[in-house]
Amino acid sequence: MYTPYLSWLLLAPVIFSLAIVAVQRLGWRNLLLIEILHLVSISSALVLGLLVLRGVMTQGSVVALNDWLHVDALAAVFLLIVIVVGFLVGVYSIGYIRNDVKSGELSADRVGAYYALFSLFLFTMLLVVTANNIIMMWVAVEATTLGSAFLVGVYGHRSSLEAAWKYVIICTVGVAFGLYGTILVYSDAVNFMQQPGAAILWTEIVKNAKALDPTLLKLAFVFVLIGFGTKAGIFPMHAWLPDAHSEAPSPVSALLSAVLLKCALLVVIRFSIILNQGIGPEFTHNIFLVFGALSVASAALFMFVQRDIKRLLAYSSVENIGLIVLGLGVGGAAGILAALLHAINHSLVKSLMFCTSGNILMKYHTRSWQSEGYVAGCALHQPVADGWGVGAGGFAAFQYLCQQVFDHQRRNPRRTFDFDGSMFAVPGSSFRSLFASDQLGGVWRIAGGRDKR
Amino acid sequence: MNPYDLINSLSGLLILTSLLVIETKKIRLSAIYYMVQSLVLVLIFLALATIMHAEQLYWWAASAFITKALLVPYILNRAQRLMADAELPKAAVSPSVSLLLAAVSLVISFIVINQLDLKIAAEFRPALAVSVAHFFFGQLCILTQRNLLKQVLGFCLMENGSHLTLALLAHDAPELVEIGIATDAVFGVVIMVVLAVQIYKNLHTLDAASLTSLKG
Repeated sequence: MYTPYLSWLLLAPVIFSLAIVAVQRLGWRNLLLIEILHLVSISSALVLGLLVLRGVMTQGSVVALNDWLHVDALAAVFLLIVIVVGFLVGVYSIGYIRNDVKSGELSADRVGAYYALFSLFLFTMLLVVTANNIIMMWVAVEATTLGSAFLVGVYGHRSSLEAAWKYVIICTVGVAFGLYGTILVYSDAVNFMQQPGAAILWTEIVKNAKALDPTLLKLAFVFVLIGFGTKAGIFPMHAWLPDAHSEAPSPVSALLSAVLLKCALLVVIRFSIILNQGIGPEFTHNIFLVFGALSVASAALFMFVQRDIKRLLAYSSVENIGLIVLGLGVGGAAGILAALLHAINHSLVKSLMFCTSGNILMKYHTRSWQSEGYVAGCALHQPVADGWGVGAGGFAAFQYLCQQVFDHQRRNPRRTFDFDGSMFAVPGSSFRSLFASDQLGGVWRIAGGRDKR
Repeated sequence: MNPYDLINSLSGLLILTSLLVIETKKIRLSAIYYMVQSLVLVLIFLALATIMHAEQLYWWAASAFITKALLVPYILNRAQRLMADAELPKAAVSPSVSLLLAAVSLVISFIVINQLDLKIAAEFRPALAVSVAHFFFGQLCILTQRNLLKQVLGFCLMENGSHLTLALLAHDAPELVEIGIATDAVFGVVIMVVLAVQIYKNLHTLDAASLTSLKG
């Protein structure tokens, strides 16, 4: 069913982004006006996104712009993540950026650019989740890098510029592989589909997936996984992620981790559906199991040596993406449900944790979770308690996902890989070292007034 | 001359210009070689448009001429002038190693393309293999060159390779898609150049090897 809200959902952030640039260019250095435009931008995305989701719930799927935009039940999950986390982090940005301007960390001249880029970044992510044209999907993923590069390096420090450079280079090189995968699928589809315009639409390719060449499909999926997997933070293409997440302002880190990774993952899922329809699920499932397990295991080892809270959270994102990919590798309704549930919960919990790290950074000027200031900060900042509340929900999803992985193992005695508890225990113990022995103990002592320091 | 041979021969010129872009030390000269390569790419698009009767490829040729042959070299030249005093970092590997790696990627590309059943571009297999190799030349440039602006040129080479693949395999795609890809490419260059200038202003270096404060 056609809905005009879908086009407006994409237009609104662009319009307000341009309005913020215009305000800045006209020399109206009114911070409040820029903040109001930013608030209207994220609110309109939220409201229009909810209207689109209502359409999906009543009609099954919605389209716009000659089917170039399409939101089905799968995209709806990711759209929900984009609009909800985008809105919450956008609201949080206002206090955070005000503090940065007050402390001299960010010049007042750059505030307009920050908010304009924020809306632009939101637009690119909305385009990824709503695109039905497979080459446009690639354009949108590439645009997310370009839209967020300056946000990563907005402070202009040595480390933030270094992180921005690595982010742009690694992601543009990586995502270029995705274009090859996309072109291979399109060129094969256009051979037997009457209209070239239809061969470019994901919905049409899925319907005709059985006619696609199996060898080309497999090769294309490898390219897609390398390309969009780089953006999704799947090991070993994750190298940009810890640097960009740790050096960006905390609200941007939250958006990168909670939303951007999931958007790229959606594109990988879209292509895996084409393969599953065309040649069966075994090929994609095995690849997902390999890369999911590698991501979890490698991130767990890196997490052990991190002393910077934001880098630790960044590696945790790699680990969680690995868990989601594992769920997809298990497959079936239960595996996919577990993966999607974990994606939603990770988005909520991780954005909250990055914002909490931002609060602590503002108050105690440290990112080292071993410093005393950090312990005291955790105790004094309510979002940690909130984080634990949401985290409980996240753990339920995690537990469900683990259960599906172990069930899969029992059902498949000739499995490709052995999963055992240690795979999940390693990252778990990394986080436990953060929250339990010293740090969380300190939090409870201080919060309970039992710590006399 | 067979029109298909013309396209395959022109694509061979892309290899030569790519190697010149990678191995030339001065950015200004590299940008000129890149401009020559982009003009060859425009000629290939025009030849393909004529052979395949694909009108949209004329538009691709026009947009490639404006963005790749004019805009990108201009942006790189301006950036180079802003950083005229910068010390030019050495490449990470010697030219002979670089050439050897380029030759290996070319051979691999030919082998892989010959294995695929691509009906849409059966007559253009050599050109297709060159386009894929070209993509890897760009990666080679990014990996072996420490100069940030040379890395930007590596991105441009990759982009030219994928653009040629797109023209050979997906020239039926709507114009809007091509416009989206070309716009992304130009914005990519602009953003990378702005970041390189910021890095030079703040850190007084164009050497990617000196960007090592973030580890672990």
